[in-house]
Amino acid sequence: MNATLRVLRYIAPKLAQFIFVVLATYTVVFLLITFLPGDPLLAALASKSGGDTIVDPEALERLRQQYGLAGTPWEQYWHRLGMLVHGDLGISIATGQPVATMIARTLPNSVEIALIALVIAIVIAVLFTFLAFLAPVRWLRNLLLQIPPFGVAIPAFLTGLLLISFFSFTLGWLPSSGSRQPGSAILPAVTLALPVGAILFQVFSAAVLEAQASQHVFTAVAKGVPPWRIFTAHLLRNALLPTITVLGLTIGYLAAGTAVVETVFSRDGIGRMTVNAVLARDINVIQGIVLMIAAVYATVNLVVDLAYGVIDPRTRRSGRRPARTAQPADEPKEVTA
Amino acid sequence: MRLLRQPGFVISLLVLLLVAVAIVAPSLLSTHDPYLSVPKDRLLPPSAEYLFGTDNLGRDLYSRVVHGTALSIVSAALAVAVGVVVGGLVGLASGFLGGPVDFAIMRLVDVLVAIPGILLALIVVATLGFGPVSIGLGVGLGAAGSFARVMRSQVLRVRNEEYVEAARTLGARMPAVVFRHVLPNAARPVIAVAALELGTAILGVSALTFLGFGAPPPAPEWGALSAAGRDFIAAQPWLSIIPGLVILAVVLAVNRVARAIGGER
Repeated sequence: MNATLRVLRYIAPKLAQFIFVVLATYTVVFLLITFLPGDPLLAALASKSGGDTIVDPEALERLRQQYGLAGTPWEQYWHRLGMLVHGDLGISIATGQPVATMIARTLPNSVEIALIALVIAIVIAVLFTFLAFLAPVRWLRNLLLQIPPFGVAIPAFLTGLLLISFFSFTLGWLPSSGSRQPGSAILPAVTLALPVGAILFQVFSAAVLEAQASQHVFTAVAKGVPPWRIFTAHLLRNALLPTITVLGLTIGYLAAGTAVVETVFSRDGIGRMTVNAVLARDINVIQGIVLMIAAVYATVNLVVDLAYGVIDPRTRRSGRRPARTAQPADEPKEVTA
Repeated sequence: MRLLRQPGFVISLLVLLLVAVAIVAPSLLSTHDPYLSVPKDRLLPPSAEYLFGTDNLGRDLYSRVVHGTALSIVSAALAVAVGVVVGGLVGLASGFLGGPVDFAIMRLVDVLVAIPGILLALIVVATLGFGPVSIGLGVGLGAAGSFARVMRSQVLRVRNEEYVEAARTLGARMPAVVFRHVLPNAARPVIAVAALELGTAILGVSALTFLGFGAPPPAPEWGALSAAGRDFIAAQPWLSIIPGLVILAVVLAVNRVARAIGGER
């Protein structure tokens, strides 16, 4: 078969999935905004003027046209979808600026802390898994494995406030707010990293400890391979697939976490913009942000899907994701043995 | 009961008992009037008189936390109820109808699960307006996707069981089959998920009230208390940190008990 055609047949369904996720998100958000009680435009105008406003019907209709909120729901749905296809996310009711411009301005700040957070989370997860793997006694390992439930149960604002209180005010090492000073990204990133790191650690350690019990690791230990070598050569690789799957899912976590984290640390970014948009009842901005996050989410999952083909050649043929455990990686060995 | 010998589980039960008392009869636990300002006792650190210290208006933080329990937990409980009912109905319909309808519904559920819950909640709050009820509805909608999945898998498991086929052969109508056979069998997994979702919902609700979308100011909702204390983080850190620690303790307790309901020792 033609090589290009084969690649195309592999990629096409994944691209279709990408388009579906964005389209379905748009539909879900549109349904919510349209069919929940309340007129978003009136709410936004009232919030803007600080009270109930009386706008004459003609001016109101003009504003509806301007913000893409005119006509029947059916017309609005297709009108806004048409705008979306052209990359137009509409105009903010509160500021009058194009939503796409606002997102483009604030996004880099959020991406910065999200990327640092992701790196911290991965380092934490690998480090703790290595410790749990090495732990000579059972209670120490169990203690380490108790961390994830804790990391997921802590409110993000509490993490942030504890870090500010300790590192900014007690020690005076790092700035407590803003985004200009050097080091100002560190505390927000750590706050964001904690729940993500906890989830990654849970998945990662489960995969590693499972692989540890397998026969090829037993053989390697018997041959006298040093522990760090077993960890990097035999366990890390096996744990890579389930971890990458979860990595795709953490994008949602990171995106949602920025709302709280950027508020706690008074930073500019997508999260702060979302909060301000909700305060102003600016539905156009919220919809734009949710669509943008859905697109990022779908892109990351597309990359994750393609990464499978590189990491695990067996998934290339079927084009399917393997199960989310480390088990499939062991199967062929058992068959040949 | 082996569980009762585990200190973590017993402590969790005690925490939940305290929460229950604080919801039903807050004045049994509180030591001061949660709304009364005592100007001379402003911004005091925790002491025997004021267990959690006092805020900038001289109100007892401990009593405010106790009286805020009902607001915080009821929003979260509403969220779980919305999730169970909406998600449950969707899952039930999806599992029973099968075929292309099932496929279409479940793809939409995939998307609902993929959108971060807090963003869905923000959309609902922005459209409906602020307050504990819209927060509960919003967070619940974010949780509905996972309930739909659990319910559907239970329906698929039960619908081909022999006793269900027997009931249908005997001429039982669809509603009877659903209420007599499917729902009772699906109850335990759904309750286990509901218990876990309660912890998540408490976190979601507190995040939204921290951001200022909850009940208007004097209401002592936990997230709002923490947000109000944020202005005093430099000199009076307990004002914002203690309400956060209370949320952490309650979520840990709820999650521990939820795992026990789910069958984990």
